[in-house]
Amino acid sequence: MKSRLKCLLAVMRVNFAARMAYRGDFFISLAIMLTGDMLLPLVTLLVYRTGASFPGWELHEAILIQAVFTLAKGVAFPFFFGIIWTTLDRVREGTFDLMLIKPRSPLFISMINGLDIDDFGRLASGGVLFGYALAVMPEKPDAPAWLQFALLFACALVVLFAVSLLLSGLLFKWVGSSRVYDMFDALTMFGQYPGTLFSKGFLNLLLYVLPIAMLGFLPASALLGRLDGSAWLSALVCVALAVLSWGYWHGMLKQYTSAGG
Amino acid sequence: MIEVRQLTKTYETYHRGHSFREALASLVRRKKVTVEAVKGISFRIEKGEIVGFLGPNGAGKSTTLKMLTGVLHPTSGEADVMGFVPWKHRKRYVARIGAVFGQKSQLLWDIPPIDAFHLNKAIYGVPEKAFRETLDELVTLLGVGDVMRKPTRQLSLGERMKCEFIMAMLHRPQVVFLDEPTIGLDVIAKDTIRRFIREMNAKGVTFILTTHDLGDVEELARRVIVINHGTIVFDGGIRQLTAHLGDRKRVRISTEWPADWAGLPGVRAVKDAGPETELELDTGVLPLKDFIRLANDRYVIRDMTIAALPIDQVIMELYRKP
Repeated sequence: MKSRLKCLLAVMRVNFAARMAYRGDFFISLAIMLTGDMLLPLVTLLVYRTGASFPGWELHEAILIQAVFTLAKGVAFPFFFGIIWTTLDRVREGTFDLMLIKPRSPLFISMINGLDIDDFGRLASGGVLFGYALAVMPEKPDAPAWLQFALLFACALVVLFAVSLLLSGLLFKWVGSSRVYDMFDALTMFGQYPGTLFSKGFLNLLLYVLPIAMLGFLPASALLGRLDGSAWLSALVCVALAVLSWGYWHGMLKQYTSAGG
Repeated sequence: MIEVRQLTKTYETYHRGHSFREALASLVRRKKVTVEAVKGISFRIEKGEIVGFLGPNGAGKSTTLKMLTGVLHPTSGEADVMGFVPWKHRKRYVARIGAVFGQKSQLLWDIPPIDAFHLNKAIYGVPEKAFRETLDELVTLLGVGDVMRKPTRQLSLGERMKCEFIMAMLHRPQVVFLDEPTIGLDVIAKDTIRRFIREMNAKGVTFILTTHDLGDVEELARRVIVINHGTIVFDGGIRQLTAHLGDRKRVRISTEWPADWAGLPGVRAVKDAGPETELELDTGVLPLKDFIRLANDRYVIRDMTIAALPIDQVIMELYRKP
């Protein structure tokens, strides 16, 4: 664990140094990322200002769901979502070979290679938005609510990790498909709205098949005191999904054929 | 140290024509083709050897190297390197090997090589003291003291390649796989790299070298394995390699009288450049002393040099064999 942490720190240091070679681009990227992440909560705010709303959900509740969603992505993107880019680029170029000659797990090496300093902008925007959403809550959550939130937020990260493994694994076979991020956006967009907006069948899909509801709706519900038993069953599905996607990724890795020499 | 038995690698790829119609058709259906890249090769390499692994493009040498570095799983066959099966014990195994891929860089483009060295230190878990000692030794041998603190993108190809060697050797590997390590380098950089390989080899490091630069092979390898169409067509010493195609010599000769070599058995004119002609002489058919006597009697020899067949011609003929 200590050795892995050392690797992670070394990569962060190197990535930061590399990114500072193009400081202008770094700051522009950060600004664009912050603006992009704030867009949906801003639209939600405007919608509520016009008198419309998500039925059954107050403005601060809707904002909290979106804040949790942004925060979860804010943790996932810099730390492990880069696996997808790493796989996309390196499998296409055949330079994934260089990761397999390192004495570490290929998944860990892919993860640290994908570590992106720019994406810490997402973490910052997620943090700011989450802080704002908490500040405007009329009733502050109690300790048990925070505990439930922590567990469910960890599940949200597990789902994002599983999705990144599924998409990354796909790229060993489906070489060079840059549309995987569009697939990710399309899959996860439902996580930033209250689940009660969807039909019962569709909500079950988001809870028990591909637990996207875990990304924002369920952890936020814990803080709002609106959680029901379905969340814990969904949490089990998250763990099962992670195990499956871990196996899937390693299975797909065996199909890696490299590129011509 | 390295033992390979009946190693085979088969993979599937797709064929598509170049026309628009064929491109359109490939959207629906693609023609699957099975490629037998490596067809049951076997060899053994002892500790401390430098082996040249040669073959034309697409012969299967890089695929073999990738299987031996644990990157690819073979379709069948066995390999044992220092007691490890590369693709099964990959993590423990790769900690003991190094690899330099001339066309795939381990350095990081925007930052100096020294940062990449420190990254490798963390990944391989090299202790600080050992790292310092090894780095100092490698930097001195390769003469890259100042270079390693400049951003990689500002380095020349030769400087980058020297730094690639440092990346591959920092953890003191016992076996090093080199895939075209001198590609595109000038003579001075090539010489530095070759001297470095010899020095490391003298310290007991085993090298497996794939290259198209036969100068690398002649200067470094004591043994050559030639692979073509996925099978080994030659495995032996450099001398055996030049003798492989029979006892042939390259003769450069100039004569007093215009010569016609066409009628002489075992003699083939390779290049006719005015007064001097380059011939290939098969001494098995026409012994050297007989050739000299005949040439002198008929055309009067003015000057003559005799040399072994150049290695590139031997290799070329091996490559051309079906």
